[in-house]
Amino acid sequence: MDFPDGGREPTHQTQVRLQLRSRQADISLPDKTGPILVNTNLRRYALSTLVNTLLQSEKPIPLEFLINGTFLRTSLEEYLTANGISAENTLTVEYVRAIVPPLYLASF
Amino acid sequence: GTTVSARHASEARRLWSHYESLTHPLSLILTEQLRLILAPTLATKMRGDFRTGKRLNIKRIIPYIASNYRRDKIWMRRSVPQKRSYQVLLAVDDSRSMGESGSGPLALEALVLVAKSLSMLEVGEIAVVGFGEDVHVAHAFDKPFSADAGVDIVQQLGFRQTKTNVRKLVAEAIGLFRDARVDNKAPMSSAATQLWQLLLIISDGLCEDHETIRRLVRQAREERIMVVFVIVDARRGESIVDMNQAVFEPDPSGDGAQKLKIKRYLDDFPFTYYLVVEDVKELPGVLATALRGWFSEIVGEAG
Ligand SMILES: [Mg+2]
Repeated sequence: MDFPDGGREPTHQTQVRLQLRSRQADISLPDKTGPILVNTNLRRYALSTLVNTLLQSEKPIPLEFLINGTFLRTSLEEYLTANGISAENTLTVEYVRAIVPPLYLASF
Repeated sequence: GTTVSARHASEARRLWSHYESLTHPLSLILTEQLRLILAPTLATKMRGDFRTGKRLNIKRIIPYIASNYRRDKIWMRRSVPQKRSYQVLLAVDDSRSMGESGSGPLALEALVLVAKSLSMLEVGEIAVVGFGEDVHVAHAFDKPFSADAGVDIVQQLGFRQTKTNVRKLVAEAIGLFRDARVDNKAPMSSAATQLWQLLLIISDGLCEDHETIRRLVRQAREERIMVVFVIVDARRGESIVDMNQAVFEPDPSGDGAQKLKIKRYLDDFPFTYYLVVEDVKELPGVLATALRGWFSEIVGEAG
């Protein structure tokens, strides 16, 4: 498909709706917190920043993320592709305190 | 395009007549509202220059006297009303998020309501496309819009496409409108007929790459294509109106760091004319308001 203005189709980021949940009461978001739209290129560190911002935590709490029972070790994009999940679906993501602080924080 | 069957013909027929009877009273209301907006019967304003007429054209008086009363076309007449003819493209989001959110049934209801009202109004041609990863034409401009056509359209919408490419939709719609302008059957030779093109998108509103979409919407506008986005908002307790978006943007300090911003999704929505509809009952009113707004803006620019 050619764009009417002659430009090529640009590359862009896919987005997905995340429903963030935690079973740990002290770091839970309010009950009514609805899904939030994010880019699928996010990884654990960026998601951690996001949840800490939503929690308005004074000191960042290191977090780990679980989707369908497995820890997220890749970007959301790679997770979706590897598991054949469409970004059209709302993704439920559970977060927990990271037990062992990571040695370094990979950039997202 | 190729015909994609997403449903059985019998199911499509049942759905079409179900939504048709459900929205019948509403479609009568919408038809009347659209008639007032789309088909004005009033003559347009007074225009000059004539030797006889109804009202003096003040701007012609001084030249008239200066020319020793020779330049005597000083009268204005009410000009012949311009007949408008329309091409309306209804674009239905056929992506999976529509199915997940329960927006699918609401979108079909809105589609049947608008398509029926427009066909009753007989102001021009109607086409329908489904879009997701790709855009497919479910009903072309040159085909008559019958009940069978409606069934055929419903049959092609299954809300199963795995992407929602609104950017591609707007780009391809501009192309379809360009072709339709050339093929238009209305008597374009007559200066009294003016062709208007309207793109009506029915979707849950979840789309990416707002910057490019914004640019395409501007381009459509430059080609006198009106774009109205109807957001069907069926997620109970999770309205798109309240949904936030998290974006990592380069820090303004320029140190290469990324800064997280949380903003309301709709604050950045790339369509100027959009409506959020939770129930199809709201559609006639809000759609009429949006169309009126658009027309008054166009008239304002022209005047
Ligand atoms: Mg979608």
